[in-house]
Amino acid sequence: MTASSTSSVPTSTAKGIDPRGPRFTAAVVAILFLVDIALGLVGLTNPAAATAALGLAIFNAAVFLWAAIRGVQHHPYGLFFKKVIRPRLAPPVELEDPIPPTFAQGVGLFVTALGIGLFFVFGPIALVVAGAAAFVAAFLNSVFAYCLGCQIYLFLARAGVLGRKRPAAA
Amino acid sequence: MTGNAGLTTFGSMDAAAIAIVLASLVLAATLLGVLHRTTQGRARTIPARWNTDARIVSIEGVSLGERATLLQFSTEVCAPCKSTARVLDDLAARTENVTHVDLDVTHRPDLASRYRVLQTPTTLILDSYGAVRARIGGAVRRDIVVAELQKVLAA
Repeated sequence: MTASSTSSVPTSTAKGIDPRGPRFTAAVVAILFLVDIALGLVGLTNPAAATAALGLAIFNAAVFLWAAIRGVQHHPYGLFFKKVIRPRLAPPVELEDPIPPTFAQGVGLFVTALGIGLFFVFGPIALVVAGAAAFVAAFLNSVFAYCLGCQIYLFLARAGVLGRKRPAAA
Repeated sequence: MTGNAGLTTFGSMDAAAIAIVLASLVLAATLLGVLHRTTQGRARTIPARWNTDARIVSIEGVSLGERATLLQFSTEVCAPCKSTARVLDDLAARTENVTHVDLDVTHRPDLASRYRVLQTPTTLILDSYGAVRARIGGAVRRDIVVAELQKVLAA
């Protein structure tokens, strides 16, 4: 009873994923960013904590990069969910398109990389601010299923940054 | 704060301050989430008398339903669009002469601007003239769509 409905939706036909996977992933990411914010705040007066905050931010960025390039299906936390947690849960009610959460990884990478870059100008406060932004997005995604990436994608499309290449197919 | 700050890397006040920052962040994010949840799927009804020619939806290549149209705007990257499409598809299939149209505005930013699509999905309920009679932002709720559709069909 999936797929092949009547309407003219040109959305992806890629295999769906369990929507709880990305939400679990977002929960882990949110917690890691809370830790990073705490480290960054301590790092305002403590160089060792500042270095640790930078290290964790780089780790977060690396995970985002991996998931953005390989697709959210290959997200390390997502794989943990799939192997360890999902077998203990009831099967998902419906499957989700992997494209939005994969795009969200790119958004996360952008914000985290910005924080890392600005760290070298403004110090650990940059990691705190970028971490706060990333935390809010990950938290809203995990707890409220809010898709910030979807919103950003729409605004990029409206600004003409995306998708001018081909006209809307009928 | 006590005087012997040199003994610990950060005093207890600092730890409390950090805890307050983190708690405020969680609280702020929660408030944002609750706000988002309450606004999602709400319908704004537009009385028929407000409709002028300018409000008639006419999009090249899109044929409207005889009695009503559920016009959904989506993009390629939109998690809640699929479930919305499923609900609207089902409603259209169950209601005679009501059509569901799902428009991907990724490659049509002009349509997104013309119909002021600020989030995906955005659903417009059109009457038999193609006039906008309701606007729903975000993932739709079946009962709300049914109620708005009833108003349009009753007229």
